[in-house]
Amino acid sequence: MHRLARAILSLYPTAWRERYRGEVEDLLRRRRLRPSDVADLLRGALDAQLHPQARPVLQLAVPASGPVPVSAMVTKPAFGMVESASLSLISRRSFLRRMLGAGVGLLSLEFLGGTVAFLWPGPAEGMGAEYSVGTLGEINARFPEWAHGTPMEFRPAQAFLVNVPAAKALALGEVADVTEPAADQLLALWRKCPHLGCMIPQVCESRSRFQCYCHSSTYNILGEKLERGPAQRGMDRFPVRIDEGVVIVDTRELISGPPKGVVTFRDSHPQDEGCS
Amino acid sequence: MSGDLGDLGRFAEPSLLILVSLSDKPRHGYAIMTDVEELSGMPLGPGTLYAALARLEARRLIEALPAEDRRRPYRITAAGAQALRTQLVGIESVVRAGLTRLDGPADV
Repeated sequence: MHRLARAILSLYPTAWRERYRGEVEDLLRRRRLRPSDVADLLRGALDAQLHPQARPVLQLAVPASGPVPVSAMVTKPAFGMVESASLSLISRRSFLRRMLGAGVGLLSLEFLGGTVAFLWPGPAEGMGAEYSVGTLGEINARFPEWAHGTPMEFRPAQAFLVNVPAAKALALGEVADVTEPAADQLLALWRKCPHLGCMIPQVCESRSRFQCYCHSSTYNILGEKLERGPAQRGMDRFPVRIDEGVVIVDTRELISGPPKGVVTFRDSHPQDEGCS
Repeated sequence: MSGDLGDLGRFAEPSLLILVSLSDKPRHGYAIMTDVEELSGMPLGPGTLYAALARLEARRLIEALPAEDRRRPYRITAAGAQALRTQLVGIESVVRAGLTRLDGPADV
């Protein structure tokens, strides 16, 4: 605010600045400036430029010793006035030229600002954003079953976060406790079925497989397409990484699921069965 | 040299208040500002203050004293005191008339 106010002082006429700048700057330093003060200074600048009769006449009186009572001043004329030499004032032409320049400058600044604001990436939301799921500690605290293999539903990215070693153990009927999987042991499976786009529910308890409600397309716990159902590939997935301990799901990039028939992990159930 | 503050337009009121503020002793800009804000209860912006000061000074109603440490005190001149007195007396008669009429008999 103070910097702005000082900048406005340079809009005053030269003569005005020579006469008043120091004291006004001193005044501004003491005052908690409000926006209305800045607007007032701006109006003052315009006034000083437009009303030459209001321009200062430098006249210094000899300082009186102590305050002078009003009654005394009524009778005693002011004394010791010193007229200064004529001050160089800004001409009408150069004032108009400066104002024109300022106007054009302001306009181009606005234009530039608008363009930059338009091109600036907005706050990303929905698909196409990066989501931080939390640290592994936070995930384990929020969803303890994750360490034992149950995929965690992560709604913002519409994905299941799969803890691969724990999930494999769960699907094989083993007991696992993996609280700190590495980044390459994480999968973020998009819940949208690659067949017709239905929402795929959480793995079923009976076989630990994903099965779409709509046409029973069935996937193992790693999202690989099994024999049952019409989908032609495994569940699509998002890149996952761990940044300084925080799990990040990047929905800007979608990786197609492996084609039907590519199954790297076999659980303990027959390959052609669904959940029921 | 005009003793009439009426032709100062929107600076007439701030000018009057500034003259009142300077009527007991010389003050510098910041002191005038806080004093006027206290007197009138209305904020006085720095731009308005110095526009009014410049006008008052141009009319020789106030005068600048040598600056002390960047702060320049202003002192009311004899003409300024005269102008202030004229204004205040004018206002006072209006005030008195108004109050008298308010308190006077309601029948016309």
